Amino acid sequence: MKASPSTIFGLVFLPLAAILVLGLAPLAVVVVWSFWAWDPSTYWIKPDFSLAGYAAILEAGRWTVILSTLVKALLAALICLVIAYPTAYAVTFLASRRLAVVLLALMTIPFFTSYLIRSFSWRLVLGRTGVVNTFLQDVGLTSAPIDWLLFSDFAVMVGLVASYLPFATFPLVLAMGRVDSIVLSAARDLGAGFWTVLRTILLPLTLSGVFAGFLFVFVMVAGSSTEVQMLGGAGASIVSVMINDVMRVANYPLAFAISTIVLAVILGLVLIGNWTFGLARLFEDRAQ
Amino acid sequence: MTRDEPFARFVVWTLTLLGFVAIYAPPLYLLGVSFNPSLQPGLPSPSEATLHWYAALAGERALLAALWHSLVIATGTAVAATLLSLLAALAYVELHARRATWFLVVVLPMFVPGVIQGLALSTILTRTGIKASALTVMAGHLLWAMPFAFIVILTSFAAVRRSFLMAAADLGASRWQQFRDVTLPLITPGLVSAFIFSFLLSINEFTRAFYLAGRQNTLPVVLFGKMNAGASPTIYAMSGAIFLVSVLCVGAIAVRALLRRPQR
Repeated sequence: MKASPSTIFGLVFLPLAAILVLGLAPLAVVVVWSFWAWDPSTYWIKPDFSLAGYAAILEAGRWTVILSTLVKALLAALICLVIAYPTAYAVTFLASRRLAVVLLALMTIPFFTSYLIRSFSWRLVLGRTGVVNTFLQDVGLTSAPIDWLLFSDFAVMVGLVASYLPFATFPLVLAMGRVDSIVLSAARDLGAGFWTVLRTILLPLTLSGVFAGFLFVFVMVAGSSTEVQMLGGAGASIVSVMINDVMRVANYPLAFAISTIVLAVILGLVLIGNWTFGLARLFEDRAQ
Repeated sequence: MTRDEPFARFVVWTLTLLGFVAIYAPPLYLLGVSFNPSLQPGLPSPSEATLHWYAALAGERALLAALWHSLVIATGTAVAATLLSLLAALAYVELHARRATWFLVVVLPMFVPGVIQGLALSTILTRTGIKASALTVMAGHLLWAMPFAFIVILTSFAAVRRSFLMAAADLGASRWQQFRDVTLPLITPGLVSAFIFSFLLSINEFTRAFYLAGRQNTLPVVLFGKMNAGASPTIYAMSGAIFLVSVLCVGAIAVRALLRRPQR
């Protein structure tokens, strides 16, 4: 009993139109515009094939911001995996059903809360008169507030991990849910310890979840701006913040050129990830 | 699986706890600070906790106007995102061979950085002479909310067994009747969740609204300005309240949905 092509067309039409008109078309236009040239007479750009926008990325140390964005994304993704993997393990294999439900709910909530408010709240924790500094002074570990806790790369990394951790946890929970626990029990019965089981059985079986978690966090951090704006020091930047700064002086070709490169990297990574492990497969056992 | 060595269990639970503390402790601390009568940020003692700053919100004209604007935008976004995601999910179920591609098409906008999508959309709108308004922000928020709404609705389709639809068809139900009388009642909880999730995603969204909002800014854009202009306790109160409401909404939905799921 298959749906007729016209039924499918009717279902696909509106969502696809929204995605094309509001998503793909503006982004495609930005890519095209990134090759246009600045026209001082109209305060806008004119059709051209110019690489001036891309050349400007190499000036004023802008490429170092791109590089540091990639480093931040890499580091945040790795830290998130180190925290998310045990979390997924605890939820899947250690927690009682009731606790697992609570933990899964706690993992779902952050997706729908404000990244702005969550980043901002770290200021109260890491600031000179914040919780951490007060505590360190009260127990006598330091005599003066530590300054590098807030408005620093450290604060940004903490904020990024806290913001995007659930993007790593979710694919891992889904991946571990599909591991047959009998396989693990069998390994135990044969004398394998926890770390042996982890290394030889669980990690290989959940590798797709590890890749997906890494990829999601990497991509989200590469496109993030709020954490750097709220927690970064003077002059701290990340690609999205750099685009904001460039737009403040209406340098359209440069903003579009940076956007094009970021889009290419992010969409490329997602497509490679999708091609290797299949995004839809992550949800398949639930969807059908 | 309760036979793990104690040390391994300790490591696993410690890291798990660390993750949850990192996510929840700072905003909950902020919430606590919002009950402090003093201007100095810090946790109030239980005896002096006050709703003073929440009452003071009533006098914050700019914040309230922004909140109202955000509520309107979030409602519009949620209606559109839920309806479009329902269509997208129905298409996913029907599209057998191509469903993985369709899934990717719908979910991909989630990974487009907010700054880039906001900038792209706002530049196009400006060039075509469309004025920034609540509608332009909704246009930006729709694609941010849709992937989440789509996944939630898709998950709720697990309740719709093929056999239910086949039985209905055998009894003479048309496709439309099958949808209306079988599918729709079964996925209603998913639609409600998708609506609330989209609403929250929109009301909390900042980077796209930053580019797309017109003369009236949305709440997060106004909050952002005030946070950087020297935070005041009313900002803590507004932030704390928004965070708390978001947590309660999602928490209720998540617990209900997870408890209903059949035991593994």
